[in-house]
Amino acid sequence: MTDPVLIVNDLSVTYTVGAGTFYAVSDVSLEIEPGRVIGIVGETGCGKSTLAKAIPRLLPEPPATIGSGSIVFRGTDLVKVGRRQLPMIRGTGIGMIFQEPLNSLNPAFRVYDQLLEAIQIRHYREMGWVKSFQGGERPFDYSKPPDTTTVAGSLSKIIVPSGAAEEAVRDRLATRSQFREEVLSYLRLVRINDPETILNLYPHELSGGMRQRIMIAMALSEKPSLLIADEPTSALDVTIQAQVLTLMKELIDEVQAAILFISHDLGVIAETADEIGVMYAGRIVEYGPVAEVFRDPRHPYTKALLKAAPAHYKSDGPLSSIPGSVPNLSRPPSGCRFHPRCALARDVCKGDTPPLAPVDPAAPPESRHIHRSACYFQSEVPGLP
Amino acid sequence: MGRSPGDLLIFVLKRLLQLIPVLIGVIVLTFICTHLKLSGLCNAVYPHASKAVIDACNAKYGAPLLPQFVSYITNLLQGNWGASTLGQAVYPAIAADLPATIELVLAALFLMIVIGIPLGVIAAQYGGRWADHLVRIFYLSGWATPTYLGAVLAAVFIGPALGLPTRGEYSTVVPPFPQYTHMSVVDAIIAGNFPYTVDAIEHLILPASVLAFINMGIATRMTRASMLEVLPLDFVRSARMKGLSEFWVMYKHALRNALITTTTVLGVTAGGLLAGTVVIEEVFDWPGIGQYAYDAIGGGGSVANFDGAIAVVIVFAIGVVVANMIADILYGVLDPRVDWR
Repeated sequence: MTDPVLIVNDLSVTYTVGAGTFYAVSDVSLEIEPGRVIGIVGETGCGKSTLAKAIPRLLPEPPATIGSGSIVFRGTDLVKVGRRQLPMIRGTGIGMIFQEPLNSLNPAFRVYDQLLEAIQIRHYREMGWVKSFQGGERPFDYSKPPDTTTVAGSLSKIIVPSGAAEEAVRDRLATRSQFREEVLSYLRLVRINDPETILNLYPHELSGGMRQRIMIAMALSEKPSLLIADEPTSALDVTIQAQVLTLMKELIDEVQAAILFISHDLGVIAETADEIGVMYAGRIVEYGPVAEVFRDPRHPYTKALLKAAPAHYKSDGPLSSIPGSVPNLSRPPSGCRFHPRCALARDVCKGDTPPLAPVDPAAPPESRHIHRSACYFQSEVPGLP
Repeated sequence: MGRSPGDLLIFVLKRLLQLIPVLIGVIVLTFICTHLKLSGLCNAVYPHASKAVIDACNAKYGAPLLPQFVSYITNLLQGNWGASTLGQAVYPAIAADLPATIELVLAALFLMIVIGIPLGVIAAQYGGRWADHLVRIFYLSGWATPTYLGAVLAAVFIGPALGLPTRGEYSTVVPPFPQYTHMSVVDAIIAGNFPYTVDAIEHLILPASVLAFINMGIATRMTRASMLEVLPLDFVRSARMKGLSEFWVMYKHALRNALITTTTVLGVTAGGLLAGTVVIEEVFDWPGIGQYAYDAIGGGGSVANFDGAIAVVIVFAIGVVVANMIADILYGVLDPRVDWR
């Protein structure tokens, strides 16, 4: 398997509000390889959105603090990267699609200008005109020797023009119309039928589904190596949700990015992700290949969550719900954070936090991709009603 | 209603039509205020004149109010703006003085925009931290300064300290070139006279800076407040996530939306700046309409000039309405969600 694009190690994020501290994300570890889709599910307030925004360091700090752990993106720990260098990772390195398509586009600019800006950012970085960061051994050193494959290099040769250098300039210097073509191609990529008209519209003249398609086009046009989708369909109508989800599924196959897909909807994750992490009260309580986790959940919370997912027919009986409520993250329960609501809870659950242990005892415990559950009594979970 | 040039034209015409009732109101009010109590005027103006002169004067100003008003309005509608008590025609004086005032106001507005708005952005960006407090101290001290005090201090201390001229438009009273526009800098540029252009700009700096400093608070404060409203919005976060540096996030994406409010307020202020020039022009000997207004109401021992006072108020009223109209047009330009109506 190829090297992971992103390795998150024991990441903890807290919010300090007034005198209180909220433990929003605690000891989360993840690994994503290129072309893989990892889904994170959990209830509202379980910390999944905080996790999504902590990775590109998009959380306002303060109030948020990355307490411990590392976010290693292509070999560089983003926790240690300086504030001024962070923009260089975003866009072309890590792209993001947000939950709120209605407000995520700037109301003062036309669709064209906003997409053009994204494409220009990528273009200028590819050309080496502006500093960027894509990870690797010399992350911020872009003092490349001039060569004819960049415009800057070509310009240095124009002074003594040679045929090859002129050609390179002609090929590489993207003109207005080339940028326009590229903007149009990304609008077509997200299945917008009439891109020529859409280009000249302002965001307020578009529907929510359209705006989310444009947000997706904008994120993809920077060709990120990691794409974070933070509940991309949650704010949309059911029919539009299905359309955008179908689009996402098709695009996942087309783009070669690693994708972190955050959702509270189990169905959405089941359809898109290769692996799933179930979050509860800031921790990942169960992790594994999607099919395995759905077929054989090994954490009481996952089991309850699957049971609570609405079925399609009224005749299936009343909806089931999980007794109790999500704990207040300023005072999380000791030990296993699910124990106050758990049918299997015993004294040991109140003591130490159960480790994320492999379901198959024969599996190597350090592997990140096998089915694991953070429950002391995971073998008893299949017996639960 | 929409956003085409035709809609803009209709919008402007409508606004100009609304100017008519405003002007009627302004004229009636100022006329009554200036003419209500004029019984002893002619004796006061010509204390040692012969009876014939005083009688002629009384024939003009001693008549009942209504006929005086009717004759004033009739003259005004025919393009005759009247004359001062001493017989100097009002219109040519105003036509020569107004451009100088507009030049001063535009220069002050320019300073308010290029200094006041970035200060507001900085204050919002570092909200609650020392940069924010420094900016607040700066604009509040401007706001708290009375115009006459600021102008006098600048003329007496700051000007000499910086080597800036504190009197008039040019170093010579009459420049050696024709004054087409009566705007000192513009005339010097038209004449292609570089030394005089520099001289004119030097003369403009001090009065414009004082006017800007005193009124800058409104631009800074409004920018800061609307930036603080805009910054938590989702599109600012998406702009950051595109990989834009903090500078472009602030000055392109956030400020563009914050400016919508600031523009409206600046339009209102611009009208007020016109009136704010009265004291400043007097102190800096700037040959503008403010100085004319000061003389017209009898300031500095001059003889009161009623037709002139009314004319100045009319010009100020037009200035306020036009400034607001321009602000409303810009509002539509800046915010694509707004129709001109």
